Amino acid sequence: MGGTLAAIADPAIRAAFRESLLRAADDELVIGHRHSEWTGFGPDIESDVAMSSIAQEEIGHARAFYGQISDGEEGGGDHLAFGRAPAQYLNAILTERENGGWESSILRLVLYERYEAARLQWVSVSGQEPVAGLAKALLREEQYHALFADAWLTRMSRGSDEGHTRVQTALEALWPDALGLFEATEIDAQLLATGILKAGPDAQRQRWEAEVCPVIEACGLIVPASPPRTGGRQGRHTPDFDRLHAHLTEVRRSDPEARW
Amino acid sequence: MGGRGMTTERRAETAAERDAIWERRLDAPHDVWAVFLQARTRDPHVHVGDVHAPDAEMALVVAKENYTRRDPCVNLWVVRADEIHATTASAVHMFDSATDKSYRFGGSYRKQQQVYGSAWRLSHRDEDQ
Amino acid sequence: MDTRPDTQDDPVLLARFTERIAAGDQIEAGEWIPEEYRFEARRLIQMHANSEIMGALPEREWIPRAPTLARKMALTAKVQDEVGHGMLLYRVAETLGGTREEMIAELVAGRARFHNVFHYPAETWADVAIIQVFVDGAAMQTQGALRSCSYAPYSRVLKRICYEEDFHIQLGLDVWRSLAEGTPRQRAMLQDALRRWWTPIMHFFGMPDRVSPHTAKMLAWRIKVKSNEELRQQFLRRFIPIILEYGLEVPDPHLRWVEAEERYVYTEPDWEELKRVGRNGGPKSAERLGLRQQFYRQHAWIREAVSRWAAAA
Repeated sequence: MGGTLAAIADPAIRAAFRESLLRAADDELVIGHRHSEWTGFGPDIESDVAMSSIAQEEIGHARAFYGQISDGEEGGGDHLAFGRAPAQYLNAILTERENGGWESSILRLVLYERYEAARLQWVSVSGQEPVAGLAKALLREEQYHALFADAWLTRMSRGSDEGHTRVQTALEALWPDALGLFEATEIDAQLLATGILKAGPDAQRQRWEAEVCPVIEACGLIVPASPPRTGGRQGRHTPDFDRLHAHLTEVRRSDPEARW
Repeated sequence: MGGRGMTTERRAETAAERDAIWERRLDAPHDVWAVFLQARTRDPHVHVGDVHAPDAEMALVVAKENYTRRDPCVNLWVVRADEIHATTASAVHMFDSATDKSYRFGGSYRKQQQVYGSAWRLSHRDEDQ
Repeated sequence: MDTRPDTQDDPVLLARFTERIAAGDQIEAGEWIPEEYRFEARRLIQMHANSEIMGALPEREWIPRAPTLARKMALTAKVQDEVGHGMLLYRVAETLGGTREEMIAELVAGRARFHNVFHYPAETWADVAIIQVFVDGAAMQTQGALRSCSYAPYSRVLKRICYEEDFHIQLGLDVWRSLAEGTPRQRAMLQDALRRWWTPIMHFFGMPDRVSPHTAKMLAWRIKVKSNEELRQQFLRRFIPIILEYGLEVPDPHLRWVEAEERYVYTEPDWEELKRVGRNGGPKSAERLGLRQQFYRQHAWIREAVSRWAAAA
């Protein structure tokens, strides 16, 4: 495995890019974990199976990113995925929320998916190899995730009054968290300055809203006007994440010397 | 495919009644969709199974993960199973040829068998490989 | 659903059917079948479908806790396969009458049956290895035999299921190996899981068949292909060596191979426990059925919204 990070000469830039990849890896791991929790409990067997595939792909993306980041580091990808304290994870709070109803998970996927596709897009043109090539390949799997989520969102929100109400309620709850995807830290300015990042978080958010709002409005829903809920990009997480982390690491912690 | 609801009161069919019917519409629940998968370009679409789905778009969306996780695919079709019309089992005899049709093959009987064999193989992948 | 039908089958059709089965033919969906055949085949296939859906529950508990990313993906995929098998099997059951919706409603109401093994807890990560090797291994014996059953739609689906189950056992053996060759704590966890699962596994194939006209008919009609004891012996011949190869203990001290009889003898399992479990009275039966019921109710508005959308479109 080639070293994307090893190829970056400036240590500050290297650290900044590492952090941006870690956000991606942690987002994908945590949302993939949440999606995998639907296995066996979906509203119908076929969608249960489809959501399970989406979960596997997200975890697979996380694994690929952890592999890139940990190249040359001790412990490798699994150590990064499982071995940090909760405050060291950089996933957005949106990803860690406990599953709630199917409508919440589907809505979360609709909102997250456009963000993730845009992220893979900018990584793929960042000029940093081999992760740029990796991102380009991973993009191929994202279209289906959006297709699946959009199809479900339409049917739930436009099928019945009750569906409309429930989805709108879920949207009100998730919107602040979704805006938290764009939480900026000092690395964003650094990466923008070097040209690795072509657009800063505010510009990214505007592009994302331009994609997501028409989808929401086409479903007869109203885009909320609430401020972002942040913290995830700085390692400040919710009790939901503490429980997730405890679960995630339970078996490994039971026998730290063991290989699994 | 068949079986729309278990009818508890049913007069037993007679053999004569049964034999008289050579074609039927498949008796499947309305929300069952037959899935046809094209493995590679130029391959025919093959029936690989069914999905339950409320409509065609959702049927295609779920068919992708339910039928192509391990099998190569470039294209999918779905159609409601209850739109499928079929010959009946009792009509199977009409597919047996009684007279020599080798004039269709421009050659020997052996050649006729070969052509049947390869056409059959094109549409039946052996999953045991 | 458990009462045998009492309709009169047309004698000509019955004679033809019997002849075809005796000749080794398979029957396709939509062909004429005796009412009793329909009843028995549907019951068998429905129980199999139910078992796949319920079987997802013990293992899915370990997806969030899988100890590596590779294991996490593999376990998710494995459980996904089981859910997918449920889909395939309910469709086959539908061809014999009823709808999937009705069958699932029956299951979550606690009125339908599923295999004994899925009424037990999966207490540790090692249970995943035991389930994937021994429970899936046991299921493989039955499913493999039933590939030559007389109902063609079931036979076809079983071919695909067996193909995928083979991967599951390979996966399971990989987890098994990592634990059997691991730390003392891992080995102990594995041995303990094996001990706890031993009785349900021995129960899996059912009591030795009674000699009865019913059993004879099921065999003649190829709804049953091998006897319970034949399948159990087949399972033991294939899986006892795995336990011994890794230096683990077979939880039954009286289990041994008797060369003269060419079979394993073993401690007679408590069949009363199997009967209780079969009536949904196992250690996890109520909890798991309750979970299914909870989600079924939770999703009711979704089913409603989706079907209304489809009707309006």
